[in-house]
Amino acid sequence: MIVADRKSLSEIQDMVRDCRKILLVGCKGCVTVCNVGGLKEVQVLAATLRIAAKIEGRPLIVEETVLERQCDPEYVEMLKPVVDNFDAVVSMACGVGPQFLSEAYPQQRFFPAVNTTFFGGAVAHGIWEERCAGCGTCIIHYFDGMCPVARCSKSLMNGPCGGSDHGKCEISRNINCIWDMIVRKKTEQGRLNDLLDIVPAKNWQTARDGGPRQSRREELIQNG
Amino acid sequence: MNLQKTTEKTGSVMVVGAGVAGIQASLDMANAGYFVHLVDNSTSVGGLMAQLDKTFPTNDCAMCVISPFLVEVGRHLNINIISNSEVESLEGQAGAFHATVRNDPRYIDIEKCTACGQCRQICPVTAINEFDCGLDLRKAIYIKYPQAVPLAYAIDRSACIGCGLCEKACLAEAISYADTPRRTVLNVGAVILSMGSSVYDPSGLDTLAYGRHPNIVTSLEFERILSASGPYKGHLMRPYDREIPEKIAWLQCVGSRDINRAGHGYCSSVCCMYAIKQTMIAKEHVSTPLDAAVFYMDMRTYGKDFDKYYTRAKDEKHVRFIRSRIHTIEPLKNGDLNIRYVLESGDVQEETFNMVVLSAGLSPPPSAIALAGRLGIDLNAYHYAQTADIRPVNTSREGIYVCGAFQGPKDIPQSVMEASAAAASATETLADVRWTQTKVRELPAEVDFSGQKPRIGVFVCNCGINIGGVADVPAIREYARSLPHVIHVEDNLFTCSQDTQEKIKQVLVEKGINRVVVASCSPRTHEPLFQETLREAGLNKYLFEMANIRDQNTWVHMASPAKATAKAKDLVRMAVAKAAYIEPLPQVMLDVTNSVLVVGGGVAGMEAALGVARQGYQAWLVERGHQLGGMARQLRSTWQGEPVAPYLSDLIDAVHRHEHIQIFMETQVVHVTGTIGNFTTTLVTQDDEGKEKSTVIPHGAAILATGGHEYAPTEYQYGAHPSVMTHLEFDVAATKQDNRLLSAKLAVFIQCVGSRSAERPYCSRVCCTHSLKSALWLKTINPDVQIFILYRDIRAYGFRESLYQKAREAGVQFIRFESENPPVVSLTPGDPSEPNSSRLSLTVTDHILQRPIILNPDLVVLASAILPNENKKLFEAFKVPANADGFLVEAHAKLRPVDFASEGLFLAGLAHYPKTIDESIAQAKAAVSRTMNIVSKTAIMVGSVIAVVNPERCAVCLTCVRTCPYGIPRIDPEKGHAVIAAVECHGCGVCASECPGKAIALKHFTDEQINAKTDALFQAA
Repeated sequence: MIVADRKSLSEIQDMVRDCRKILLVGCKGCVTVCNVGGLKEVQVLAATLRIAAKIEGRPLIVEETVLERQCDPEYVEMLKPVVDNFDAVVSMACGVGPQFLSEAYPQQRFFPAVNTTFFGGAVAHGIWEERCAGCGTCIIHYFDGMCPVARCSKSLMNGPCGGSDHGKCEISRNINCIWDMIVRKKTEQGRLNDLLDIVPAKNWQTARDGGPRQSRREELIQNG
Repeated sequence: MNLQKTTEKTGSVMVVGAGVAGIQASLDMANAGYFVHLVDNSTSVGGLMAQLDKTFPTNDCAMCVISPFLVEVGRHLNINIISNSEVESLEGQAGAFHATVRNDPRYIDIEKCTACGQCRQICPVTAINEFDCGLDLRKAIYIKYPQAVPLAYAIDRSACIGCGLCEKACLAEAISYADTPRRTVLNVGAVILSMGSSVYDPSGLDTLAYGRHPNIVTSLEFERILSASGPYKGHLMRPYDREIPEKIAWLQCVGSRDINRAGHGYCSSVCCMYAIKQTMIAKEHVSTPLDAAVFYMDMRTYGKDFDKYYTRAKDEKHVRFIRSRIHTIEPLKNGDLNIRYVLESGDVQEETFNMVVLSAGLSPPPSAIALAGRLGIDLNAYHYAQTADIRPVNTSREGIYVCGAFQGPKDIPQSVMEASAAAASATETLADVRWTQTKVRELPAEVDFSGQKPRIGVFVCNCGINIGGVADVPAIREYARSLPHVIHVEDNLFTCSQDTQEKIKQVLVEKGINRVVVASCSPRTHEPLFQETLREAGLNKYLFEMANIRDQNTWVHMASPAKATAKAKDLVRMAVAKAAYIEPLPQVMLDVTNSVLVVGGGVAGMEAALGVARQGYQAWLVERGHQLGGMARQLRSTWQGEPVAPYLSDLIDAVHRHEHIQIFMETQVVHVTGTIGNFTTTLVTQDDEGKEKSTVIPHGAAILATGGHEYAPTEYQYGAHPSVMTHLEFDVAATKQDNRLLSAKLAVFIQCVGSRSAERPYCSRVCCTHSLKSALWLKTINPDVQIFILYRDIRAYGFRESLYQKAREAGVQFIRFESENPPVVSLTPGDPSEPNSSRLSLTVTDHILQRPIILNPDLVVLASAILPNENKKLFEAFKVPANADGFLVEAHAKLRPVDFASEGLFLAGLAHYPKTIDESIAQAKAAVSRTMNIVSKTAIMVGSVIAVVNPERCAVCLTCVRTCPYGIPRIDPEKGHAVIAAVECHGCGVCASECPGKAIALKHFTDEQINAKTDALFQAA
C-alpha cells in the first residue's frame, strides 16, 4: 500500500490560515489502512483544528467527509454538491488525492494534510517499512525476494558495500543492510554462487528517471 | 437458614475460608449448578491476597485483580456468604453432611448497612488496624478496606466503649448492639477447606529483634507500606522516623527451613519471589537510589517466568543477592540496623541498613488447625492438611476436600488451580443433584420501548448525610427536573435501601419511565444493584446511567459545598444527556454442546477426560501416539514416594472403561471452528494400514494437555557412556533393578542440565526434588554409596524440603557450582578390547574450598530439563498462544491459571509449565471444573456490551485484529470485512477506539452517547 505520515498541525494550520470554512476529505483506501487518513483521523484532525482556532480566537468551521477512494474520478465527483461551500479543501489521501480533486474542481483550492512517503507494509501494528520503489522493472526474484532498489540506501545491484556493519546500514542503526540479508539467505539456501554473476547496470528508464509514467492497458480502454 | 437435617444427597456445598482459593472454588461450583455456602471467620472475604500490594511475576496490583472476583462472589445468586462465622461441627457423611455454624455477631445488620461511613466519622474510639498489620489505626466501628465484600461495617466490641453515638448517627438503623451469637445448620453434600495461611510471627526469634525495633518489619507489613491504600499511602517510609530509606535488607527464610528455632522444617514456597517483587517495587517507589540487598540460602524461583524475574532484578534493577543466612540484627541508636554476614570466601562483612524486611514464612492459622481437629481430618507434621500426591485435593475424610495454602504453602496461581480442582472433585459425586438447590431469579419480560421518546427518571441520593450534608440535594433534584426528557425526579435518604428500591420499581412502572439516572455513590459498588431493580421492573438493565456525586464529589469537596452542588449538577446533566441516547442491549441465548474435547493422553489429559466423564458429560480423548500415559510411564514414584505404575494402570483402565469417554488413538486435531459452547473439531486418525480417517466432533469446551518431554542432553558425555543417564532413564533403571545403579559406589547428580540457561531461561521445577528422591533411594538400597549432588540452588519448595533434609542426614554431599563454571565430565579410555570400559571422571569447583575437585563416578545422573511438546499446528488450529519457551500461555498468570484468553479453551499439565505429577493432576481437575461452568448449562447468554462492526465502513486494515488484547476480531474473506464474534468479545473497546475507519462501535459507549455526555459537560449549567 501507499504509506503516508500526517503533516504537523502547524503546517496544516498555516495552509488554511486565511480560511473560515474548510472541508476535510479522508480516503478509505491505503491511508485508512495505514491509520493516517481514514474517518477517525479526519475527525481527530477536524477536532484539533477547531480547538486550535478557538484558542486563537479565530472563527473556523470544519466539516468532515470520507471518499471511497480519491484516485478515481467517479468517487471524486461525489464532492460536487458541497465542494464550493468551502474556502478550501484539505485532502488526507496520498499525493494522488489532492491532484485528482484539483483536476475535478479547478475553481477550488486543495491542500495535502499528509506527506506521502513510500510503498510498503506494516511489519507490526504502528510500524510501516518501505518495500518497493516503483522502478517499473521488478528484479526481486534475483535476490531471493528482497529488493535492493528499494531497500539498499544506494540501490546497489552488486552489494554489499563497505558501509555494511554487522547487518546494519551505515546510514542508521535502525536500517538493516538488505545486502547482508540477501547474502545470509543465499548462504542458508546454498545459492551463494548466484551472487558471482555480476548484475549489469539497471535500466532506469522504466523508473521515474524516464519521466512521468502512464500505464495503458489497451484491452481495457473503451473507445467512443 | 435453619434447614432440617436430611440424609439425602444434596446439591449444596460448603466452602470454609473465603480467600482467593475459597472464592474460586465457590464461583466454580455456583456456576456449575451447586448452591454454595461460603463461610469465613472474618468480616469480609478476600483473605491474605487483599492485603498484598502487587503480585509477582507480572507486578499486577493485587486488589485490582481480585476485586472483580470479590464483586462476583458477593453478588452471586447461588453463593451465600456467611461472614464472621466458624464451623463448629460436621455430622453425617459425604453427600449429606450437616454442618453446624456459629455466626458471631457483627453488631450491624448487613442488609441495612449502606456502608455510608457516617458511623466511622463519629466513632470516638480508635483501635489497631489489623488489616494494615498494626501500622495504622482505625475506629472501633470499621470496614476492612473500601472494596470489602460484604460491603458493611462491623463493630469491634473489644475496643467499643458502647457510647451509642453510631446508633444515633446511623440513619439506616443498621446498628444492633444486642446481637448475640447464633447457630445455623447447613445441609451440604461436600465441604472444601480453604482456610489459607497466616504469616509467621518472628517475635520468637529474639536475635532478629523483631517487635523491639520499628524499622524491622515483616514482609506482610512491608506489603502494606508499599500499598497505595496502606498506612503511608504508598510512600516508602520506615516506621521509626518516616524517613525514606536508602538501604533495605531482606532476610529470607524467617520461620521457614528452620527446625532449630522456628520449628518449621518446610520451605514456604513464596518468599523468594515476593522478596524479589518487593525489591523492585520499592525501587520504583522512591526517586532517590535505593540499595536493595536480599540475604538468602537458595533462590527458589521455580515457577513460570520466575527465573526471568529474578534475572531482571539482578541485572536490570541491580538488586544485590547475597548467599548468607543472617543470625542477628543489631539495632543502632539512629534507627539503622547492623547486619553481619559471611561471604562465600569465609570473610565476615558488616553492613548498616536503614530498614530490614523479614521474609516471613507461611503457617496454617490456629483456627484452621482447630477446625481440622473438629472435622477429624489428618494433618501432617506441620499441621497442614495431609493429602496424597495422586489425590492432591482429597483429605482423609470422604467428602471433605482441601485447596490452597492450608494444603501446603503455595502461591496464588497454584492455590487457584487447586481451588478449581477441589470444586471438581467435591462435585463429582453430586453430579446427579446438580441444579437442584440453585436459585433462579424470576424476572418479568423486558418491556419494548422501541419507537418511544426517552422518558427519564432521575433519583438523587442523600446517602444519609454523605451527599446531602455537603451538597444541596433538593437543588440538584429540581435542576434535574429542568433537563430534557426528564419526566420524574425524586431524592431519597438511601437510594440503595431495600424499601427505596421497591418504591423505585413502582414509580418506573406507573410513570412509564424508560431510562433511569441515579445520582449517588459509585457504579463500582452499586451499579449492579440498581440495574437489578430496573430489570425487576421490566426494563433492560442497560437503560441505566449513574452520576457519581458522592465518591468523586461530596467526599472530595467537603469543604466547598456550593461548588460541590454545582459539580453534582454538571454530573447529573451529563448522565441525563447520555441516558437520552442509551439503548436496551438484550442478550441472546445460545445452546451449548455438553461435551469436552481433551487433547493429550498423558496423566493430565486422562485425569481431565475422566473428570469430565464423572461429572456426567461426554469426553473425547485424543492422543497422537499409540499408547496412553505420557511421561508418567517412565516415572517411578511421586515425590512423597507413592508408586506411579499402579496409579497409572488404574487410570488407563478407568479411562478405557468409562461409558462417557471415547478415545481416539493415533489421532491429530487438524481443524477447529466455533466458539465457547459450540466448537467443531476435525480429527484425523491413522489406522493400522496408514489410512487416514476423519471424524468431526462437536464440543462445548476443550482442554489442551499436550504434555512435555525430557531434554536429551548434549552435555556431560551423555550418550557417550552408559552410566550417564537422565532422571527418567534412572527411574526406568531403578524399576528394573539395573546393575549400573545397584553396583555404583560413587554417584553424582548434576542439576540444571538444559535449564536456567541462555537458551532455556527457565527452571524445570521438578529436577531438584527428583534428584533428592533418587539419591535417597540409592542410599536405601546401598547405604555405602557415596553421593554428590552438584547444584546451583536447591529448589525443594514446600514440604519437598524434607527430602533435602533427609538427604543431608543420609550423608549426601552437596556442591554448588556457578553457571559460568559448570562441572566437566570426561572419559578416561579403558581396555580398548572391551566395549564400555572407559571410566568417567568429573571435575567441579567446590564453592567452599574454591578449588576444583576431581571425582571418578560410577554413575552420573543428569537433571535434564523439561521441554514442552512441539504442537505448532495444533496450537494454531485452536489459536492459542505459546511463549518463547514453547509453553502455553494462560489467560492470567495469577487468577486464571488454567484458562486461555479465548473463552472455552483450557490447559493442563506440562504443556503449561514443568510440574510434578500431583500438580498436573490438580491442574487437570481444575480444567475440568472450568469446563463445567460451560457444559453444565443448556445455554449461555451472549451479547450486551460488545463491539459491533459496520461492514460498509470497514477497510479490512487489520487494526482491530492486531490491537485486540484477546485476539477476537478476524477478517472474514468471504464477507470482506472484519468480524467480531459476539460470544467472544470482552467489550474492552480497544478496537472501537483504534479503528481508523470508525467502522467499529462499542455498544453502550457509542460516539453518539459519549459525545452527548461531553457536549453536556461543556454546556453552561
